[in-house]
Amino acid sequence: MITLRSSDGETFDIDEAVAVELQTIKHMMEDGCAGSQIPVPNVTGKILAKVIEYCKKHVESGKAEEQAASDDLKGWDADFVKVDQATLFDIILAANYLDIKALLDLTCQTVAEMIKGKTPEEIRRIFCIKNDFTPEEEEEVRRENQWAFE
Amino acid sequence: MAYSFPEEVLEHVFSFIHTDKDRNAISVVCKSWYEVERWSRRRVFVGNCYAVSPGIVIRRFPELRSVALKGKPHFADFNLVPEGWGGNVFPWIATMTRAYPMLEELRLKRMVVTDESLELISRSFKNFKVLVLFSCEGFSTDGLAAIAANCRNLRELDLRESEVDDLSGHWLTHFPDSCTSLVSLNISCLGSEVSFSALERLVGRCPNLRTLRLNRAVPLERLPNLLHRAPQLVELGTGAYTAEPRPEVFSSLEGAFANCKELKSLSGFWDVVPDYLPSIYSICSGITSLNLSYATIQSPDLVKLVTQCPNLQRLWVLDYIEDSGLEALAAHCKDLQELRVFPSEPYGAEPNVALTEQGLVSVSEGCPKLHSVLYFCRQMTNAALVSIAKNRPNMTRFRLCILEPETPDYQTMEPLDVGFGAIVEHCKELRRLSLSGLLTDRMFDYIGTHAKKLEMLSVAFAGDSDLGLHHVLSGCESLRKLEIRDCPWGDKALLANAAKLETMRSLWMSSCSVSYGACKLLGQKMPRLNVEVIDERGPPDSRPESCLVEKLYIYRSVAGPRLDMPSFVRTMDEDSELRLS
Repeated sequence: MITLRSSDGETFDIDEAVAVELQTIKHMMEDGCAGSQIPVPNVTGKILAKVIEYCKKHVESGKAEEQAASDDLKGWDADFVKVDQATLFDIILAANYLDIKALLDLTCQTVAEMIKGKTPEEIRRIFCIKNDFTPEEEEEVRRENQWAFE
Repeated sequence: MAYSFPEEVLEHVFSFIHTDKDRNAISVVCKSWYEVERWSRRRVFVGNCYAVSPGIVIRRFPELRSVALKGKPHFADFNLVPEGWGGNVFPWIATMTRAYPMLEELRLKRMVVTDESLELISRSFKNFKVLVLFSCEGFSTDGLAAIAANCRNLRELDLRESEVDDLSGHWLTHFPDSCTSLVSLNISCLGSEVSFSALERLVGRCPNLRTLRLNRAVPLERLPNLLHRAPQLVELGTGAYTAEPRPEVFSSLEGAFANCKELKSLSGFWDVVPDYLPSIYSICSGITSLNLSYATIQSPDLVKLVTQCPNLQRLWVLDYIEDSGLEALAAHCKDLQELRVFPSEPYGAEPNVALTEQGLVSVSEGCPKLHSVLYFCRQMTNAALVSIAKNRPNMTRFRLCILEPETPDYQTMEPLDVGFGAIVEHCKELRRLSLSGLLTDRMFDYIGTHAKKLEMLSVAFAGDSDLGLHHVLSGCESLRKLEIRDCPWGDKALLANAAKLETMRSLWMSSCSVSYGACKLLGQKMPRLNVEVIDERGPPDSRPESCLVEKLYIYRSVAGPRLDMPSFVRTMDEDSELRLS
């Protein structure tokens, strides 16, 4: 059993088999840096719980090999990412920090789907991004995009 | 709340976003997204090679792996663009050898490609995988030998419809024995015989070969051996499909085809002998694409073949199919999406086949998924066009080529305005339209009013006055490419709609009524347009402003006037301005 401690002090006990899904943790264990409790300073308890839920599910499902199980897992993944945007982004950052490739792929792909087919204005609104182009700069990029690269 | 992801996360998100439109949208969101996007873009499509320069492309996108370029305007296919006009790919290759050593794919259309370019490609890009030369020219089989010899990981070599200086078929032997990576090989445009044993060995050692389009010189007797070495083929172009009728050749062919259970697309069939057609019947039920545009067989044989293919989605065929054949097609091929009917004798004075407007009407009635049509014929009526329009409101591409210019409705002798008007009115998703027959300005009023999604329009020998051009330019909101020949359209409409030209990729006008004066004015008024006058009669300076230009090609560009114009092409511009690319 490995114990992880979130940034806000919550602790989570997980099997080694699950812990090694988090590559960052795996490296720490291999390097012998893992003490009795492994601190995860960048990730809150709420998010760490979700990450662990994902990893547990995927470790369990890894044992089943039938197509039906694989389809079920896809469905589970689709539900897993049905969270509010803030949570989704926090999970991405956690997956990136903890180096969990499959979770990073899943969440990044979800964000990519939110972007596809949208105009720049819509994208800015969805992600609350400030447009720091001047009108002239933006015009020039748009022109180059449309005239040269479409 | 604003989230700023670390760059590597943003890059990871962008790695799932592929279309040009989406990549372009991301790049405009904010400065940091622009930066991450441009470093992570791997493929570009440049619809007009002169709309941008190689220097601009490599500065904006430092890590491309796949580049697609288009050169000459479409009317080059009808020999309207003089030899030496431009579209040479060499400057692009030279720039990319320095900037993109890891380039993997190059797709070129209507460009001039020299052997020097091909040799440079073969030596400079260690991981080069895909070369598509669509309607290109300027190279010989020596250049192909370099590609074969040096591109160790070549997956695709596609020379479709290119004009190659075919010195010998020997180039194919330059593929080393270690080459096993080919997925697609299209040499259908080549004239001379390639070494058959080299071809057989090549095909045999490439287990992932999916597409093989042979040239005419590969005799029918050689086909079974090739097929046995590549039973996994999905797309096959045969060579000449002719031989003395011999049962052992037939059964050998039949057996070889029966073994190719993945075949979906067939083409080739030069000189086809009808007796040999049944050799492919066993795989016809799986065929979705059939290109018989070189098959000079008559209607009964065509019908027998086509009715064996119930899953046909695309058919290209000569007008030997006649109305009766098209009726049979309509009855049997309910999944048909695309039909192209080519003329067997386009220059003959009299019709040589019984193909009329009725054939197209039948197909439009019987094939609910039909949305793409290219149809050559000699007669048409408004009534037929109206039927077609009402039958197929899902039409997206409609190109009708009535062979004789200015042909009216043969029953009423009226112009075909009403018929084509019905097409644009009912087919709300129409993206491409080619017109022919007798057409007045009224037709173009219909187009401007209804064709809101139209992106490409081709017009020849039509219209009465500038009003026609004005309707098109002012009404067609989605217009990207407009090509016009032999129409009485000129200065007034062009100058009144100058701003529109910056919203389009290009405008081609030849044998119309545009004057030099208007071109100069347009060039001065719209400095971001390249207004190129093509005039093979000599320098235009001495001529009066009112003199009409022969050919005009106008396109928007972020690179300024091009620097490689031949003497017969002049940019109408503020002469003294130097632009940096």
